[in-house]
Amino acid sequence: MSSSATRPSRSRRRRAFSRSDRLTLGVFVGVPTVLHLLLVWIPAVLTIVLSFTYWTGINFGDIKWAGTANYTNIFTKTPAFYDALRNNVIWLVWFALLATPAGVLLAYQIDRQIRGHRFYQSAYYFPVVLSLAVTGIIWNFMLRSDGFINGIIGRDIDNAISFFGNYDINIYVIMVIASWRHVGYIMLLYLAGLKAIDPTLREAAAIDGATEWGTFRKVILPAMRPVNIIIVVITIIESLRAFDIIYVIYGTSAGLPILGVLVFQNIAGEGASMKGAAYAVILFVLSIGPIIAYLRQQFREDVS
Amino acid sequence: MHDEQGGNYMSAENPVVRDSDLGFRMNRRQLIAGAAGVAGAGALLAACGGGEVGPLTFGARTVDESPTKQLKALVAAYEAKTGNTVTYNATESNAFQNNLSQYLQGTPDDAFQWMAGYRMQFFAQQGLLVDLSDVWDKIGNQYAESYKIASTGLDGKQYFVPQSWYPWGLHFRKSMLAELGIDVDGVYNWDDFLKMLDGMKSKGLVGFAAADKGGWEAMGTFDIINARVNGYQYHVDLMAGREKWTDPRTAEVFGYWEQLVPYMNDNVLDLEWDGAMQLLLQRKAGAMLMGSWFGGNFKEQSDADYEDLWIIPFPEINPEHKRDTIDAPIDGFCAAKNGSNNEGGADFLAFAGDMEGVQAMLDTGVPMTSANKGQDTSTYDAFQKQQLAVMGEAKYITQFLDRDTRPDFAGPVVGPALQSWFKNPKDVNKILESLQSQWDALPPL
Repeated sequence: MSSSATRPSRSRRRRAFSRSDRLTLGVFVGVPTVLHLLLVWIPAVLTIVLSFTYWTGINFGDIKWAGTANYTNIFTKTPAFYDALRNNVIWLVWFALLATPAGVLLAYQIDRQIRGHRFYQSAYYFPVVLSLAVTGIIWNFMLRSDGFINGIIGRDIDNAISFFGNYDINIYVIMVIASWRHVGYIMLLYLAGLKAIDPTLREAAAIDGATEWGTFRKVILPAMRPVNIIIVVITIIESLRAFDIIYVIYGTSAGLPILGVLVFQNIAGEGASMKGAAYAVILFVLSIGPIIAYLRQQFREDVS
Repeated sequence: MHDEQGGNYMSAENPVVRDSDLGFRMNRRQLIAGAAGVAGAGALLAACGGGEVGPLTFGARTVDESPTKQLKALVAAYEAKTGNTVTYNATESNAFQNNLSQYLQGTPDDAFQWMAGYRMQFFAQQGLLVDLSDVWDKIGNQYAESYKIASTGLDGKQYFVPQSWYPWGLHFRKSMLAELGIDVDGVYNWDDFLKMLDGMKSKGLVGFAAADKGGWEAMGTFDIINARVNGYQYHVDLMAGREKWTDPRTAEVFGYWEQLVPYMNDNVLDLEWDGAMQLLLQRKAGAMLMGSWFGGNFKEQSDADYEDLWIIPFPEINPEHKRDTIDAPIDGFCAAKNGSNNEGGADFLAFAGDMEGVQAMLDTGVPMTSANKGQDTSTYDAFQKQQLAVMGEAKYITQFLDRDTRPDFAGPVVGPALQSWFKNPKDVNKILESLQSQWDALPPL
């Protein structure tokens, strides 16, 4: 389009706003923008800047330029970083391949109104009502050495099954706990999407002789595109930002290192250093990278 | 670093400062003189500021039953004496610790519970604590010099009022020892110790109850084995970075520690300190290395459980160092600069440090070994007398690993390193190399 063609149409549109329209728009767009900048982007930018400094977080005068020292420290000298990365990757793979598909499957079955679907719906939805911290507290009571499970199978504290302290299995124990909630969450989102799909689509597919799986893959899934995008993004974010459950069960001790806890461990308390800020930046890049890439690809497909 | 109050400048290179910075050179005589002092010596100087200072708030870093009872009694006694009102706020101790920097920079309580040594000095240096030199002028003669040193910041002023101390040692139940036919007075060196653990193991018991889920519990074991194998000086130098983690002498510590692993419960990384305590309480374990503070928890169970407790020093390993070092942390109080009533905070702490306040805490019946000379050691119960004896044998006092070395090293680096050692003790050299390289990567102070 040439600029001479757009100019008149733009100015016409601008004139269409009355003064009160502009005021309303200004308030509705302006206030959230200011808040967003103030509470999200300015702290984010400051975190990025601080990740290149040494600082204990107290007196501004003590801030010293560190260059990339915090990052070299993390990448070359901190074994906990790679343990944490490994655990976050396990988390992501588990959610992507098991928990999220399980939630979708459940939603699909409940939408088909299989026998007892109301019961399943409530049962799987129930954990979503609880915050992750509460989830952690409940499972801690269940699985700790002097907890419910060990009690019911008659194991005392000296020969209890080690659910949280056995490094070969503890990440999977945590995955089961996290999935308990994640499956219900995904189910709910997907169910809402499925309810919005016109039932005639499915009838048409059935008349054309499509199989159940074929209908799902060729008809339902494409019709669910907006929900699919949300679910992929949520799965990535939930896996990378994981913190609450681990913090409730292990505290800051890094008994099970994940990136979220490393951020906190290095930035809270007396041991505060900007290594924590560097961890936060790494986590930020890891989370936002795949999400931007995915969304760009999706929107490009939408345009074409 | 500049001190906001006086503008005094203390060089970090000053070796004298570095020493008081990392682990106190308290000698035995000073400490015994402190603990065994004359009863009521300071009661004459009890004159506190009175009711003119206005209402204040106090922050406790515990929600446990026994210490809460003790602190509330202290607050009540202060209120009764001065007519002043004190608002009591309690926070769970880990949460309190993690949030302390933010707390002190925000709107903190006027007085709060904290720890002596490095952990106090750090915040004093940042200008976040109230100078309590005036308070020490009033109560100083009730304390041994060593406690004053432990309460002093790098600028030479006092920022801390001690409440109590406790030794880290091997704890037993006397009734179990009697059943097993073990005489712990005869357990002096490493061989005696292993023989005793063998005996316990053959009876189906956990010999050496251990926990490290919290990431700090095992630091006490490292401290004491290092001091036994390599001596006090090496330990203090290692904490200050003057010796290397990669030194074969440090590796030797883990060699001894590994000999204890077969006698430990195998869920070390599943238990926090109270889990290890449960093992002893439930008679599943014979011995436990821990600070004697947990006596209060035994007392909550029953008086009989408390009276059953016994403590001995960790055994000698290297005859050159005998049993001459002990971890004996001091807990107490500070006043927050950003509190709304600095004068009130200081006034309250003057009362807390005075024998009158100490007596109010003792009157609750919750066991406490006070730092105040005025607590008559003849009123100590048998377990406390034994704690004093254990202290008496030591020539050097250390605080605890996470109070004797840099906070950005202890929690985020040493804690996880010890946990990964429990995961696989054979990795020791790799772990030590990593510890040293992480020490070297720390920002300059």
